[in-house]
Formats: sequence, structure tokens, C-alpha cells
Amino acid sequence: MMKSINRIRSSKALVMLVWVLGIVVIWEIFAFVVAATKRTPENILPHIWQIIASFFDPKPVANGMSCTQIVLTNAGQTLSRAGQGFLIGTLIGFVLAILMKLSRIVEKIAAPYLMLIQLIPILGMAPIILAMTHDIGSSRIIIAAILTFYPVATNTLAGLNSVEKAKYELMYSYAAKKSTIYFKMLIPSCIPYFFTGLKIAAPMAITASILVDTLQGDGGLGCMLSQSLKHAMSIYVFWDIVVFSAVIGVLSCSLMGWIEKLISPLKRIERKTKKKGAA
Amino acid sequence: MSRTNAYNPKNDVEIAINNVSVVFKDNKGNDVKALDNVDFDIHKGEFISLLGPSGCGKTTLLRTIADLLEPTSGNVRVSGMTPKEIRLMQKFGIVFQSPVLFEWRTVKKNIELPLEIMGYSKKDRSDRADEMLEMVGLTKFANHYPQQLSGGMQQRVGIARAFGIRPEILLMDEPFSALDEFTKEKLHLDLLKIWEKTNKTIVFVTHNIQEAVFLSNRICVLSPHPGRLSAVVDVDLPYPRTTDMRDTPHFGELVSKVRNSFEGGSL
Amino acid sequence: MIKKRKSLWRRLKENRAVQTLSTILLPVLFGVLIIALWQGQILHKIFNTDINTLPLPSRICRIILDNLPSIGENALYTIIVALAGLIIGSIIGYLIAVFASLFQKWGAGGLTIVGAFNAIPIVALAPVMSNWTKDVSSDPNFRSMVAKTLVVMIVCIASMSINAFRGLTELKPFALDLMSSYAAKKRTVFFKLRLPNSIPYVFTALRVSVPISIISAVVSEYFAEYIVGVGREIRENIVLGQYPTAWAYIVVACLIGIAMYGLLMAVEAIVLKNRRIKN
Repeated sequence: MMKSINRIRSSKALVMLVWVLGIVVIWEIFAFVVAATKRTPENILPHIWQIIASFFDPKPVANGMSCTQIVLTNAGQTLSRAGQGFLIGTLIGFVLAILMKLSRIVEKIAAPYLMLIQLIPILGMAPIILAMTHDIGSSRIIIAAILTFYPVATNTLAGLNSVEKAKYELMYSYAAKKSTIYFKMLIPSCIPYFFTGLKIAAPMAITASILVDTLQGDGGLGCMLSQSLKHAMSIYVFWDIVVFSAVIGVLSCSLMGWIEKLISPLKRIERKTKKKGAA
Repeated sequence: MSRTNAYNPKNDVEIAINNVSVVFKDNKGNDVKALDNVDFDIHKGEFISLLGPSGCGKTTLLRTIADLLEPTSGNVRVSGMTPKEIRLMQKFGIVFQSPVLFEWRTVKKNIELPLEIMGYSKKDRSDRADEMLEMVGLTKFANHYPQQLSGGMQQRVGIARAFGIRPEILLMDEPFSALDEFTKEKLHLDLLKIWEKTNKTIVFVTHNIQEAVFLSNRICVLSPHPGRLSAVVDVDLPYPRTTDMRDTPHFGELVSKVRNSFEGGSL
Repeated sequence: MIKKRKSLWRRLKENRAVQTLSTILLPVLFGVLIIALWQGQILHKIFNTDINTLPLPSRICRIILDNLPSIGENALYTIIVALAGLIIGSIIGYLIAVFASLFQKWGAGGLTIVGAFNAIPIVALAPVMSNWTKDVSSDPNFRSMVAKTLVVMIVCIASMSINAFRGLTELKPFALDLMSSYAAKKRTVFFKLRLPNSIPYVFTALRVSVPISIISAVVSEYFAEYIVGVGREIRENIVLGQYPTAWAYIVVACLIGIAMYGLLMAVEAIVLKNRRIKN
């Protein structure tokens, strides 16, 4: 049995490996075509090894810093603000979902606006928020928070509403207090949904923060990205930031998955039983 | 120690169901009579089954006892008090058709849940849960999560949780209907053993005639549209009951008697 | 028996007509309150801003009405980009899902990677697309449109392929066994079982894609070569300090989103009319 589990796991890893290799091969084929036909191939599609090499190239490209130094120093600024906005948005989203569950009046007021808010191009409003706050740091935080708040609130609310009637009746038969019902039943059962919201929100918060960077020349990943595109520094800074932000985006999503597994024993069990089922 | 017949008319009346009628409104706003003037008493320590086909109002009746539903007219009294008062005194244990376990809690923690709500100390909770686990034979699974157990084991956790609060009255709503025959027969014996040990009053809802006959000392037969009490059948099989009793001619006679007591004859 | 008189509050709560009315009335009142606070310049005190950065609703309305032709033209370009990207991306996404459902073991792995694309910030995608489409046409407007559409398309592919794959593979229990008992061909299974089963999932994907397609269109306009579209107008007007005009375009972007979402809901209501029963 152990053997067959291992076989399936390794074959799953194999599938992923083949896919990643496939993408690398396709990228490289196009990179060779571009290199053969275009005047400045590194602007369109450089080879993967060129991008990797640029990460390790100690040669300074701007302000006496290498590509990697530029990416990492600016990433700190961008990501810390994205993180703060993410935390604030998560808190507001969670509290709103609880309030909507607690009060039908709040629910009725908020429900249509919760749907409308996703149709407002918040990212498009970034310049206005910058104009209102006059501070790029707080603009990053505000926009990341707004983008985080929506998926967290809707998913948490869906989780709170997913509790079946029999569980309420059980708690009712114990004459449980309202606070007991929330802390022992509703909040634990919305946790998986809450994390689904966080997984959607985390890459969005990072995207928001990078976008706000591009609006001003004060540093941050987005700012370096646009400067590199304007050829104020090596174009590889641009490619490094694209790769870096993609990786960070994916990692932020998996980070939420890890945290979920850490705090919720249920998730670990699910994995165990899933594996059993697969074998 | 074992009772030959738990039903004794001299026993105190525990639950009095007085002319209970329940009227629902359907989607079109029409009145639907779920229960029509049901009137009978349940005695202390009885194992009583509410038996009938779907739509006869047996679950509705159980819910009026449990204070999950208010009768449209008539009333229910439990030890002379309203169901609400009894519920607030936390004297009901309920087992539903599905186990209704909290999937983020281990088996033991699920059994401890009502004890937590009732403010038992940590040690008392743990001791009581261990005792209950042993009673339903799940000691080895204390630290498992519900989804790692089979359906029958999950339902046993539900029963352990209900008995764990030492309820005055146990209300069971088709608790075994989703289980296979083999598991069901095993749980029947387990349940009877626990009942004989604890002396609680059990109100057991079912649509299965054999199940009702095997378990109860008295069966309330309900007929549908509208839900009425059409007969009360005494089951004079001695306790403790054993599986081979199911094959006796007397068991067969009792089953036919119950079947024929449905209004309009056999179904 | 003594029938308890229900309190007025309880009776109001249980009255169906009152409930329906309050579902509509409460959010409308809330909206009116916000607009009144805005128009009455109380929001400006709360956010510590002036009526230039946060212009009054009446002014925004006047600007939209006064500049209808030019706003209409810019909105049209944004709608074309968003719609074209949405449609092409959704079709490609669905085809990927169909392909993945034919080879499920390999398909599921591929879709995990497609899902990772979701986490790539649009800000990084937009300039790359601009670079790639330099040689598509000599008309900068046209090649900008292609670049923007590509961004929207890529964003829409991910959500459609993942949802559609679930719709094509998560069948009702025993449905496949039933089909094989009829000795149905793979083709028949697809058209009679998998395809109809995936329709609700397609709408789930579109509900996510529609708002995202507009936001992506707006953001990709920021980085486009040719200056046109709602998003670009927001940015250009802010650079020029014309906040009221920028606000007018933000309102237009919201209206486009609401209109597209409303259209989607209407289509969904018609297509899924007979499936609603199960909910």
C-alpha cells in the first residue's frame, strides 16, 4: 500500500515536471526564433538562462547596484506595504462577514454593494487615491486592503452560510448562547472558506502594490519595472522583476495554504484521506 | 437487573402530548396539516417508537417535544414543564438522521462539545468522554477526526455525545436509517444495552417496522395526511433482547399487528 | 391554550412583504445617504480632501453628459478590448479544459500550472504584450489593441479552463457508468454528459472573468503604446491635474462593469432556468 501511494505521488510530480519542461522548451524555441529575427531580442523574449544569469551577474546596472540588489531592495518596500494592506483588508473583510451574519439589516445593506465593489476598477482608481493621500506608501496599503477585503468577505460569508441546519438545532438543543454558537460552530466552519479568500487575495494585494509603484518615481518594484522599460537601466531588471513578481505571487498563494495546514488539523487529515483514496 | 417489561402504567408520566396539532404553510400559502390532534403520554424510562411512513408527522412530533417547533394548537409538557424550560435546563439529548459531527474536532472533542457548553471542568469533560467512548466501543478512535470513521462509527459518536450529557430524555430521529443492515443490527443491540444501563426515556422516530418492534416497549403508529395517531401497540418481548428474537413467530406476529394497525389496513 | 401575542417587531420580521421591501429599500437608502454625504461635502471632511480631488456627484454627472461623444469613443475601445479578450480567452480556456479532460492525468497537472499564471501580476504582463506586438501592424492603435486584448485574454483563460475542467470531470455519481451501460461512444459521452454538466461551471468562471476583464483592460491601457481608452484617460487626466474628468471616467468604467455583469446575469438566468430547482 505504502508503495502504491509513493508511486502515485511520484507520478504526479512527474506530470508536473514534464509540463514545466514543456513550457521551458516552448519558451526556448520562441527565444531562438526571436534571437534570429529581431534586432533587440532581449526586449521581446530573452533566453531563460540569460534571465537566470542576470540574477547572478554582480555587474552594477544602476546606482551601483546589481540586478538582484535592485529587485530585492525595492521588493522590501513593495511587499511590506502589500502585506500591511493585506492584513488590514483581511481583518475588515472578516469582521464585515461576521457582522453580516449577526445582523440581517447589515446583510441587506451590504450584500448588493459587496457585489458592486468588484465591478469598480480599484486598480484604475490608484492614481486618484494617490492624489487624495499624497503618500505612495499609504496608497499601496489602501488599494491592497480594498482588493483583499472583497474576496475575504464574500468567501467567509459563504462559509458562515454553509453550516447545515442540523448543527444549529444541535446547538439550540444544548441551549447554547449566541457567542458560543459563533465561537464553537460558525467561526471554525468558515475557516476553510476564509483561506480560499486569502489565497485569491494574496496575489492581488501584491499586484496592487506593484501597480501603485509605477505611478511615482519613489522606488518599489513597479517603479523599477517602468524605468527599465524606458531603458533607464538594463532591460534585464524588467525581466527579473516579471519573474520575481510571478514567483512571489504564486508563493504568496501557497503561503496561505501552508498557514492553513498549520492552524487547521482538518486540512492535514483531508490530505491523508485523499491520498488513501487515491491508493 | 434486566426488565421483563419496562412498560408499567404505574410509572410516572414523563412527556404529556396534549391534543397537539401542527399546521404548515406550503409554497403556495395553503395550510397543510402535519399533525392532527395527537394525544398520548410517554412514561419515565420507556423506549417508545414513533412509527409511520413519510409525511405522517413523526419527525414533526419529535420536534415539538424538542422545542424545535411550536405546536399550532395543543401543548407538550415534559415533567410538567414546557419543552423550552426543559431545553434551557439542558436535559435533552438529540441524535439526528446524520451524525452532525463537527469535522474540525476529534471524536473525543465532539463528545466533549455539549459538556463544554454546559461548563464542565476540563477533567470532568475528559473523564466523561472516555467513559462514553468505552460505552460505544470507540476508545481506540478518540483522537481520530470524524471523516476518518465509517458511517456507523460516526453515528455511534453522535449517540455517545447525546448520552454524554446524561440527559433526562433522549430524542432520536431516524438515527440508523442511512446505515446498512449489518451495522444497524449491531447498533440496535448497543443502543438497548446503553438504555438498560442508563434508564433514560428514549423517543425513537423510525419508518422501519422491524426496527420499532425490536427496540421499543411501545410503538405509536402514525398515519399520514393529516398525521394522526392511529394505534399504540405494546411490545411484550422480554428485555434484554437478542438478535435471534427476530426469527421467532411472536416477533412476526407483532410485526403484522403493527402493520395492520395503520389506518386503511396494510400499506 | 393561551396564545402568546407576538411583538410588533417579531411580526414585522416574519412578514414576507416587509422582508422583500427592506431588501430593496435598505441598500437604496444607504446609497442615497452616501451620495448625500458626498454632495454635502461631509465625505470630504472625513477623508480630509477637497472638492477638486473628490468632485461632487453633480459635477461628475455634468462632465459625463457634456462630453458624451468623446467619453463614448474611449469607452467603446475599452469595451472592445474587454469583450474580445473575454470571449477569445474563455473559448481558448474551454478548449484547454476539453483537451485536459481527454487526458485527465496529464490535464490536471497542466491546469495546476495554468492556475499559477493567475498569480502573475497584470502589471508585469501588460508591458510584455506591448513588446511582443510591435510588429503586428504599422498602425499603433491596432497593435495596441492587440496587446491589450492579449492581456485580457490570458487573464480570462486561467479562470475558464480551471472551472470548465471541473465541470467536464466532476460528474454526478454513476453518470459515467450509466453511459457505459448504453455502450456510448466517447463522443456521445462528451456531448450528452460532459458538455451539459459543464455549463453552470462556465457561468461560475464568467462571473469571475467579467470584472477581471474590465480591470485588466483598464490597467493594460496604462502601459499601451497608443493613448486611448477609459483607463488611459483616467491616468492622463490625473497627470494633467484634471481630477473631475478622471472621476467621470472612473464612473464610466464602473458603469461598463455593471452593464456587462448585468448582461451576464440575464443570460445565466435564461440558460440555467431549468436547473435552478436543485438550489
